[in-house]
This record gives sequence, structure tokens and C-alpha cells, in this order.
Amino acid sequence: MKHHYGSNLINLLVFILGFLSLVAPFVLPQARSQLSSGASFPIMVSLILVLCLVIILLEIQTSSLDSKMIAFLGMLIAINAGLRFLENAIPGPAGFSPVFFLIILTGYFFGSQIGFLTGAMTMFVSGLITGGVGTWLPGQMITAGWVGQSAALISWLVKNLKLQGKTGEIILLAAFGAGWGLLYGVVMNLWFWPYLASNTSQSWVQGAAFIENVQHYSAYYLATSVVWDITRAVANVLMMSLMARPVLKILARFKNRFRFTHSAGRNL
Amino acid sequence: MTASLPWILWLAANLALLLSTRNPIYLLLNLTGLFLTGNMLAQKRTQTSWVQQNLRFLLTMILLSTLINTLFSHTGATVLFSLPETWPLVGGDITLESMVYGAINGVIIGALYLTFNILNLALSIKQIIRLIPRAFYPAAMIVTVALTFFPSIQERAREIKEAQMIRGSKMKKVTDWLPILIPLLVTSLERAFLLSESMTSRGFHAHQESRHSRLAIVGLTLAAFCIFSGWVFTMYDYPKWVTFCLFGVGGSFFLILLILLGRQTRVTHFHQESWHIKDILGTVLFSSSLIVFIALRLSNQLESLSYSPYMALSPPTFQWGCLLFCASSLFPIFLKSND
Repeated sequence: MKHHYGSNLINLLVFILGFLSLVAPFVLPQARSQLSSGASFPIMVSLILVLCLVIILLEIQTSSLDSKMIAFLGMLIAINAGLRFLENAIPGPAGFSPVFFLIILTGYFFGSQIGFLTGAMTMFVSGLITGGVGTWLPGQMITAGWVGQSAALISWLVKNLKLQGKTGEIILLAAFGAGWGLLYGVVMNLWFWPYLASNTSQSWVQGAAFIENVQHYSAYYLATSVVWDITRAVANVLMMSLMARPVLKILARFKNRFRFTHSAGRNL
Repeated sequence: MTASLPWILWLAANLALLLSTRNPIYLLLNLTGLFLTGNMLAQKRTQTSWVQQNLRFLLTMILLSTLINTLFSHTGATVLFSLPETWPLVGGDITLESMVYGAINGVIIGALYLTFNILNLALSIKQIIRLIPRAFYPAAMIVTVALTFFPSIQERAREIKEAQMIRGSKMKKVTDWLPILIPLLVTSLERAFLLSESMTSRGFHAHQESRHSRLAIVGLTLAAFCIFSGWVFTMYDYPKWVTFCLFGVGGSFFLILLILLGRQTRVTHFHQESWHIKDILGTVLFSSSLIVFIALRLSNQLESLSYSPYMALSPPTFQWGCLLFCASSLFPIFLKSND
């Protein structure tokens, strides 16, 4: 139990670190002039996100990975990366992506650590396959990881509200998918946004108040990403409401087979 | 040049330049080098339309970025025309300066993408996976399993899709995903179970949790906080020795702990990476170029790197030394191996 608390504490600290580095443009308004610090901004944010990823991955792999979970996650991630290609097979509007569906369900069913790993590794593997390894990858990995990690909250909610197997469970999952569909874009724009500053009503202003910068960021988000993200949110809602139930049944079937442990008796 | 290290150093040198400058002369020179290097690598891989594809992407980025900045930024001395002030967000003066600023941003984003695209062309997936530090071997194993089974999963998805189409499914709606996803999940997870059994029977087991690894994770978290604090102090203009100390202590502590954690794992390499004279040359060239660039940048000797079209458009200046750094994107052409 003690170890459980320690693990949660480290996860919380690392989340705070990653989150603070992403929202630094809002909470550190006295940072020095854009011209001198702007250039290093995206690199430093990416670097700190990489450090966070390193810590979380080490934390998870020392506490929850055995050969069964490795094989399970490997396959699940391969399917998820494959789904990104399947997007082309069944046409949908721009931004329509099935990739978060399995990440959320894995986090919901197998807990926050496995959820994080599914999200982060899906982004990494599909980045490798599509040639999309770049400075944006740590941000994508950690945000997708947070999607899977936070899905465990829904599991806690469903358990406490006794909604297992009821329509309420699917409604909660769909709402969660919709929320992250929008939030993913909000978080992903953050690491590069201050770098694009150019004295507009949408750019980061050095020394400005928190509210003013939030307003500028909102305008930037509305102008550049909101349409794309709404499509993603709608895709998540659609997939959750249509497919979550049968996929959850399959995961339940495999959960006991992948999560058993065996230990030799003391008298043997 | 085929080894991973010189390519990673090339990437670092290019990134350092691209994120430090908005001078259009340097950016265009660097971009030309990127296209020539990319073209060389793409031809090696018989990707004949690489230049056209990336040129199209770059032009789209420039166009989008120019459009967004022009419509939303109304700063600048040269007013081209005005949109009614009553129009929300876009109302106001449309200026030449904001167009130029938007175009420069588009070139930077396009060049960043190109740099990583070239790295992906230069290194094989095997080489990239090998760059994952030894301490992460369970995570690296997940990646390897996923990449190994990816082609067969795609093949199976195609087979299931064809089978469903034969049964009359048109595969046009979102609900049509379900008859593909469910069989795919069941068969793949069955296969994962077989794989895990064969891994266990071959002696694979993941890292055992120990007191040392737990302490190392606490240490890594502290080191990351040190680096984060160094960054925050830099932004608040604290004395340089304070920030250097924080970066130095945090960075070295982080690296040492990772190396120590990695040493707990024994690794056998079946494929050794071969090093040629051109790889050594590349490593020396790009590492020295990176060090010199950072040193000059920190001592503020590369003034021509910064350029802003605001308030009134002015021609960019240049320094001969900077031109040399920009041309580093081109150097892999001269270090081409005939392999």
C-alpha cells in the first residue's frame, strides 16, 4: 500500500511538472522578452516533457509490466496504429480519428498506468511507422498518455455510482471522449504557441495578465484548431456509443487471462 | 554516412539553427540544403516524388501561416487594404509586414518537419529503436512487438474487410468499423497470449522492482525539477551561474541515474552498427558545428539571426559565419557513402 502511495505521488509530481511547463506562458508572465527566450521555448518544453515521459515510463515498467502485459500492449498498440491507417479505408471528415477510442477503453479497464502506456506508445509507434518522429512527438506522447491515464477516473466514477453495464457507463465514456477530443488540441497547441508571437490578438504577450493571455490563446485556438477538434470529439462520441460495449466485453474476457500472477507456496 | 550518431548530431545542429533564427536568407539557404539532402536520400530509397510531395507540404504551410497571420495580425506600416472594423477578429488593416511574418513562420514549421522527415529517411526503424536507452527495455520490447506485428495486423484487417464486403457490407458508415475491429481484437489478443507464453518459456522477464530502482525514480524526479527550475530562472533573468548550476546538476544527475539503471540490464546485440570514416567525419563536423554555434549564440555574436519585419519592412542582414552554419544541412551530401 505504501508503495502504491509513493507511485501515485511520483505520478502527480511528474504531471505537475509537465503541466507547468506547458502552461508556463500563462503562469510566468514576467518571463523575459520574446526575442531572446522565444527561440528556445519549444525545445525546452519538449525537453521537459521528455524528462517527464522518462520518469513515468520507468515508474510504470518497474511496477506493472510482465511478459503478458508486454505482449498484450504490443498487440493493442499495433492495432491502434493500424486503425490510424484504416481511417483511409472508411472515409470520414478531417480530424476524424479512431485512435483515442482504444486508448480510453484500455485506461478505463486496465487502470491509469496501462492507459498511459497505451496512449504514449501508440503515438510513438505510429510516429515511427509514418515517419512522424519530431519535436512534436513528446507532446503527443504525453498528452495521449494523459488521455489513457485519466480514463481511470471514469472507472472510479462508474464504480462509485454503480453504473457498470448500464447506459450511464457508456454516456460517461462518450462525454469523456468528447472532452479529450477538444482538450487534446488545446494541449497540443500550447508548446509552440508562444513561439509564434507576432503582436496579434491571438499571440502570447510578454508580461500580460493571465486572463489576457488565456483570451489570446482562446482566439488562436478558435481560429486554427476548433473545427478539427470538434470532428475528433464527435468521432470519439460516435465510436464510444456504438462500439464501447462489445469492445469492453472482449477486454473483460482477456483481462483475467493477462493479469493473473502465480507465486510458489512457502512450503514448496 | 549511415550511423545514427552523426545523423542525430546533424538534426541537433539544424534544429538549433532553425529555432534561433527568423532571418529569411538563412532560412532559405537551410531549406535548399534540406531539399538537396532529402532528395539524395529519397532517390536511394527510390522515392521519386519526395521533393514534389514535400514542396507541396511546405507551400501549404507557408500559405496557411501567411493567411492566418495576415488576417489576425493588424500590425505593420505598409497597409495593403483594410477590412471593416466591425468584423470580429479579422477586422482591421491588412499589412505587408504581417504577411511576411506569417510566411517566415510557415517556412520555419515546414523546415522543422522536413528535418525530421530526412532523419526518418536516413535511419532505419531498427536504428531508431536502438536509440532507446537500455533502461527502457520493457518499453522498447512493446515497441518492437507492435512494429513486428503491425504488417500482419494490417493484412488481417484487409482480409476481414474483404470478407465483410463479400457478405454485403458497404463499408461506408462508422458502424461498419465494428465488424472489422472486433474480429481483429479477438484474433490479435489470442496471438498476444501465445506470444507472452513463448516469451516466458524463452526466459524473458521484465524488470524486477527493487529498492534501488524506486530510489532512482525519486532521484530522476528531483533532477527533472532541477532542470525545470533552471529554465524558469533563465526566463526571469537570474544570474547565469545559478541557471548553469541547476541545468548542470540536474542534467548530469539524470544521465548518471539512467546509465546506472541501464547497467542493471544485460543486452546482447545481434546486429552491430558499422562505422566508416565518413561517419567519424560527420560526427566531428556536426558536433563541433553545434558547440561553436551554441557558444557564439550565448555570447550574442550572431546578431543577424534575429530579424523582425515589424514595424516597417527592412532588408535582412547577414554574417558570413552564419551562412556556413546554414549550409550544414547540405553537408550529408558530401559525406555520402556508396553503400
